[in-house]
Parts: sequence; C-alpha cells; structure tokens
Amino acid sequence: MTQKLHPALIGFTVLVFIFLIGPLIIVVGSALSDTTHLTFPPQGLSLRWFANIFEIAAFRRTIITSLQIAFLSTFIALLIGIPAAYALNRYRIQLPGWLATLFVLPVLVPELVLGFALLKNVAVQFNTPIFLTLVFGHSLLVLPYVVRVISASLASFDFSVEEAAISLGAPPLRTFFTILLPNVRSGVIAAFILAFITSINDVSISIFLTGPGISTLPIQLLAHMEQFFDPTVASVSVLLMVLTVGVMAIVERTLGLTFLAK
Amino acid sequence: MKRFSGWTLASPATLLVVVFLVLPVVATIVTTFMTPNGPLAPYLGFFGSGFRRTVLWRTIQVSFIVTAIALVIGFITAFVISRAPGWLKSILIIAAVFPLLTGVVVRSFAWLIILGKNGILNNFLVSTGLIGEPLTMLYTQGSVIVAMVYLFVPLMILTLVGVLESIPEDLIQASSSLGAKPWATFTQVILPLAVPGLIVGAVLVFTGSFTSYATPQLLGGEQVMMMGTLMYQQAMVTFDWVAASTIAAVMVVFTIAIVLVMTRVARRLNPMAV
Amino acid sequence: MTKALSIQSITAHYGTTKVLEDLSLEVAEGELVSLLGASGCGKTTTLRLVAGFLQPTSGRIQLGGVDLTRLPAHRRDIGLVFQNYALFPHMSVADNVGFGLKQRGVAPAEKTKRVAAMLERVGLAHLASRLPGELSGGQKQRVALARALVIEPPLLMFDEPLSNLDAKLRVDMRVEIRQLQRANGTTSVYVTHDQEEAFSISDRVAIMHAGRIMQLDTPETLYQRPANAFVARFVGFENLIPMRVVERDGAKITAEAAGGVRLTLGLEQFGAIPDSFTLACRADGLVASPDLAMEGIPATLGLRTYLGRAYQYQCDTPAGPLLANGPLTRPLEMGGQAKLVPVPEQCTILAAETA
Repeated sequence: MTQKLHPALIGFTVLVFIFLIGPLIIVVGSALSDTTHLTFPPQGLSLRWFANIFEIAAFRRTIITSLQIAFLSTFIALLIGIPAAYALNRYRIQLPGWLATLFVLPVLVPELVLGFALLKNVAVQFNTPIFLTLVFGHSLLVLPYVVRVISASLASFDFSVEEAAISLGAPPLRTFFTILLPNVRSGVIAAFILAFITSINDVSISIFLTGPGISTLPIQLLAHMEQFFDPTVASVSVLLMVLTVGVMAIVERTLGLTFLAK
Repeated sequence: MKRFSGWTLASPATLLVVVFLVLPVVATIVTTFMTPNGPLAPYLGFFGSGFRRTVLWRTIQVSFIVTAIALVIGFITAFVISRAPGWLKSILIIAAVFPLLTGVVVRSFAWLIILGKNGILNNFLVSTGLIGEPLTMLYTQGSVIVAMVYLFVPLMILTLVGVLESIPEDLIQASSSLGAKPWATFTQVILPLAVPGLIVGAVLVFTGSFTSYATPQLLGGEQVMMMGTLMYQQAMVTFDWVAASTIAAVMVVFTIAIVLVMTRVARRLNPMAV
Repeated sequence: MTKALSIQSITAHYGTTKVLEDLSLEVAEGELVSLLGASGCGKTTTLRLVAGFLQPTSGRIQLGGVDLTRLPAHRRDIGLVFQNYALFPHMSVADNVGFGLKQRGVAPAEKTKRVAAMLERVGLAHLASRLPGELSGGQKQRVALARALVIEPPLLMFDEPLSNLDAKLRVDMRVEIRQLQRANGTTSVYVTHDQEEAFSISDRVAIMHAGRIMQLDTPETLYQRPANAFVARFVGFENLIPMRVVERDGAKITAEAAGGVRLTLGLEQFGAIPDSFTLACRADGLVASPDLAMEGIPATLGLRTYLGRAYQYQCDTPAGPLLANGPLTRPLEMGGQAKLVPVPEQCTILAAETA
C-alpha cells in the first residue's frame, strides 16, 4: 500500500542486521564447542564449558555478588526514583528546572569518572565498605532509567483521576498505592528490568570498585579473558544472553519492545 | 502541606545524586587544582606529555570515525525500519534491542573471537586462499573502531527510528502531492526534520566512545590506548591519582561541552520547537 | 487547465477488510463535489486513492480522460489540502508555497513572483518569511491552500480542511475557499463530516456510508428529497413512518400506518406513490394540533421543549414514537391528546427498502 523501498536499501539493512546478530551467534557457537580453545563453527557439541563456570570459585562468587548488587541497587533506585518521577510530573511548576537535569547527571557524567570518584572520595576517603559503595554507584547508574521510564508512563496518566479518588475520601498515601501505582505498573516493571540489566552488565563503575576481595561478573570475565582463552567466557556470555532474552520477553509482555525505541 | 510535598518526594533521589555523584566528582576535579606544584601543574603535565596528547588525539579520532560510521549505518537502517510494515518493524527493533541489552564485555568478546590471530576471520581468509598468513587485526585502531561501531549502531538505530517515526506521514504525502520525487522528499523534507535526532544520536555515540573502557581494553590493549584505558592505568596500575583525576576532569569537561553545544545546536535546528 | 475527474467502480481493501465497494463518481470540470459521511464511511479512503497514497483493488481513476490508477502520487499533479495543514515545519511560508514550483523546475525568479502573487491573494504577503510554527490555525490553513493552488492543479482535493479551526473561523474560511475555487474554476473534491459545511460549499454532495455512496445530488435535493431512509435520517428527518396504500382515488390516496392510523395524501404533491412506502418528515413537518377533529395521527403528548421558533413535543402514537412541533402561541400540556398533522410541502416519500 505504501511506497516501496529501493532494493539497495533493503540489501544494506539485511547486511547491517547480519553484522548486529552474527557475532552473538558466533559466541553461542563457541560456547558449545567441545575443544579447549575457542573455535567457530563448534567442533563437537558439549555443555562442559557451562559446567566449568560453576567449578571456578571466582565465577560462582561474582555471579552471586552481581545479582545481589543488581537487586539492591534496582530496589533503591525504584524506591527513590518513583517518588522523584512523580514529583517531577505532578509538581512541575513548583520544582526548579534543574532538578530534572540532576536526575540525568549519572548518564551525563562519564561512568568511569563516577567510578573513580566513588573510589577516591567515598570508599577510600571515608572508609566506606566496597560492597556498599558499589551498591550506591549502581543505584546512581540506574536512577536515570527509572526516572525516565516512570515519567514516561506518568505523562499519559490523568492526574484528575487521583483528585477524583481524594475527593471520594481516599487518603493521599492510599491513593498513591491503589490509584497511581496500578496505572504505572508496566512502567515500574520496565524500569526494574532496564535497571537490573544495566547493573548486571556494568563495567565502567565496577572496574574501580573491585579488587582481590570483591568483584562483579563482568569484571571477573575481563580478568579471566586476560589469562585464559577457553570457551568458559563464551558460556558465561551465553548465560547473560539468556538472561537478556528473558528480560526482553518480560518487557515485550508488559509494554511491547517498541517502547524502547522512544 | 501540599506545598512541600513535591520537594519531600524528590529529596531522597536528590540526596543520592548530590552526595554520591556531584560531591565526589567535583572533589575529584577540584583536587587537580590544588596540587603543591601550582594550580595548573597537572594539566601542563597532561598536555605536555607527547604520549598523553597522542592518546587524547587518538580518542578524539576514533570517536569521530565511530560516530560518522554509526550515523550513516544507523540512519539508513532506521529509515528502512521506520518504513517497514508493522510485524517486520517489531522484529527488526527486537533484533536491534537485543545487542543493546547484551553487555559490553560480551559484545567486545565476540570480536575477540572473530578478529584473533586464530580467529574466525583469519581462518576463513586463509582457508579460501585470499591471504597466506594470518593478519594481525587485534590490538589495532581498526579493531577498536569495528567493535565500537558494533557497540553503538543499535543505540543509533533506536534513537533515529523514534525520530523518523515522529515525522508525520502527512508531510511526506504533502511533499509527493506537490510533485516531489521520492529522493527530493527524502533530502528536502525527511533529512532536515531528522537533523535534531541525528545530533542527539551523534552526541550519545561520541561521548560513549570518548569515555569507553571495556572495548579499547579488550581490542586495543596497550597498543591502542584511549582516554578510558589510560585513566584506568593511571589510577589502578601506577596509582597516580592526580593524573587519573586530571584525565577525569578532561573527560567531564569534554563530555559536558559537547552535550551543551550540540543540544543548543539541535534546539536551533529543530523546526518543531518553534 | 482544469479537468474532470472520473472514478470508475473502485473497490479498495485495508488488508482483508473491504473499505470501498464498487464506488463510482463523476466530477465535472470546475465542479465542487463534497464527500460527506461519518468517520469510517470511506470518504478519506476515496480521497487517498485519487491522490495516489493508496492503490485500489480494482477499478480505474481518470483525470481529464487520462488514467491515473497506476501513477505514483508525485506525478499526479493534484493539489491537496490536509486536515492538519501538513506544512513543512522547517520551511518559511514562502518556501512552503514555492515547494511545488521548485519540484516542477520553475525558474527562481518566476517562482518568487508566483509565490508572492499567491500569498497576496490569500492575504498573507506580510508573513512570507515566517515559519509555520509562528502562525495561527487560520493562517496555516491559508498557507496550505496557497501551496496547493500555486501549482495550478487540474484537480484540488480537501481533506477535512476546517475541522481544526474554531466555529467562527470555519464559516469565514469556507466562504474564502469557495471564492478561490470559483475564481480559478478548479475541479474540486471536498471531504468533510460536517453537513452544514458540505451543503454550503458544494455544487453537489455525495453522502457516503459503509464504503458506498448513498446519494449524490445537489444540497437542495438532498435536503428536501432524500432518496432513502439512511440519507433522510442523515439530513435530519426525525420521523420515518412506514405506510401502505389501502385506497387509490384519482389524485388522492389513503394510506395506513401501524396501529391503523390513516392519512390522505395528494399525488400532485408527492408524484407517484408506490403501494408500500415510508412517509418522512422533520419535526417541523408534523404539526401538533389540539383540534382532535383534524385528520392526522392521534398522539399522546410527552415532554415539551422550547426551541425558540417553536415548541417541540415527544409524542407517543399508535404508529410509534414521533417528534412534532407546535406553535409558540399555544403551548400544549404534557399528557394531553393531540393530532399530528403532516405538512405536505415538508414531507417526502421514500420507496420501501429491502434492507
């Protein structure tokens, strides 16, 4: 019905998507290889490198650390980000304009700088435990996603509904939980997911806040790669991709993925 | 009570950002001006070193090339996606989101397998007889650029799909009803209206490349050091925290300057904003 | 210059849904025909088919005898005015108006002259260098009109051009559009859902429903002599009374409605009357009279509302609920009995429909 695209454009797009997806397929293939070095296409199919992940103590430890940090920081970011997003949308006129900018600072300031600053001026300066510093760093990192996604779902919320509830006698806090929250539920889910995946994958902040005692999965992956070039890293990568697929399925269910293109 | 509730609700988040971001980052930058050798000594040191100047220049160069390539690839792809029928559009967007949600380590690692001495590309080229000896592709500027383009193209695509979709179909129809051929509609209507989005995409990719760490570390190593890897080295290998803070300050100033300038340019070029 | 438009048995689908069925329409040179109907009736689809943004499943579209059906939109040479104006936001008013000329390779000097003359005609010469974002709705609409007219198209099409304007401006603009269209003598197709707008501006109006044209006629004919029940309801005939002839007596007939209500109708007034028909009239054409001796439909009066020019009564009759008006001089009480007397000049006869 609509105008047709030039075949060259379509061909180009096909190449771009091969470029985007091909390398990830190669990683999956390498993870399944039965050899002790990385090869593609895989020679012999085996899941032994997946088993190997859990035989290495450092991977076991860092997977748990990464999950703890991702859950904690996402939880903190939601806890403080939802009220902040609400305030920004509901009380726009009485709050200063720079407040919205403040909440995007964590994406504006280079993550590496944030990581280094946290190491130097929080962890070392005040003897703050590294784990705690990591949690704060990751909470900051994911806060902009929470504020943005929640704001987006609040933008389509008609606040007069809330006023209707209050006029019918519902106290403000109950109004928040029974009227507002259910209406931005899908936004909360999306924010959770985006925040969680961002935290799990973070390198630039964590790289400064890890050491012999504590590390996260991506940092452990980097360290492992520098010493070994076996398919273990590919297997961990596949695990992370499976997590991503799971996450995308949830987002697709709740919002539709095109939501992310906005 | 209502008067204060806006601030009350926003205060925990404000506190977190101020205490754990603004103060530590400002303190990091301020210390560079308070060294015993005079306020500008670290900067004179940084720009006085040929090696560090090379790293800065290389970082700018790589970021520029990556941004340019990502712009071209991203814009064409986003254009095709925005004109695709509904079901195909969803599939293509999913295919672009998937790499974006996959971590930077995993995505860089993929190129390590592809570009290595015994990597897939070398094996393929040798087996087809195109080359006799495996080429050295890793730890070159080229490998860093390829991996970074790979890293940032999905981001560019998603940014631009949103922009192109927001151009009303009416304008395109108005253009062709007035006799504009498809190419004229593209250059005279679609492209000018996409400029603000192109700028946003370019800023995201440029600042992302400029401050990246994992990709130059894995695919560039010592040979292709960039600002991020240099900063890490100064902070965690040689423990020269003044030098690391100086690099941090340069990065922050660069990033914020680019963001400010470009958003201003974008606003001026945005015809919808009037 | 101007050309006749001929749409020949067009059928169109969105996916598997049929949106137009075997639609034909002839618009003569210089004529303005409106497509009128509720949303989803197919009027906009028809316009988009002619513009070339959609392809019909079957049928042909000709302009001045030349087949357009397979021609891409940019080669059709049709002036289009959009509902939301569709002005290019990044171009000045002058550049917007000059866009079509530029595509036609008109020399810059000539282009500037023609753009200036056109802006003068729509009264916007002083705004030539403004961006569309700085204009009011009415000004935007004039720019859109100028942009479509300056290419001197053989056919102009309007897609609900006034629906984003406020009521007062709408009336002014439609007069202006009509004047410009008359002066240029350009064949025009005008899509709208506003009956008053369509009737006031058009030579002929096509009332559309469910992908078909229900009636194509002059506004006067449509208003007074609708051809079927759908059009009658559409143009405001509140009372549709199914009847059947029980006696023919020279120039008069007697017909009976439900509940045994009998009326005598004159053939000189209505022409030939089929055995089974529907008597249609507006509330104005049915007078509520307290004189129970008169011939009419016996009714129990219900709610009375004040219209300014008359009182209106919701009536309960053996032939079903009806709406009648009564004079202001004699308000009747709710619950009272009355006779509803048809005014022949304001009634029309519809042949019985199978559907």
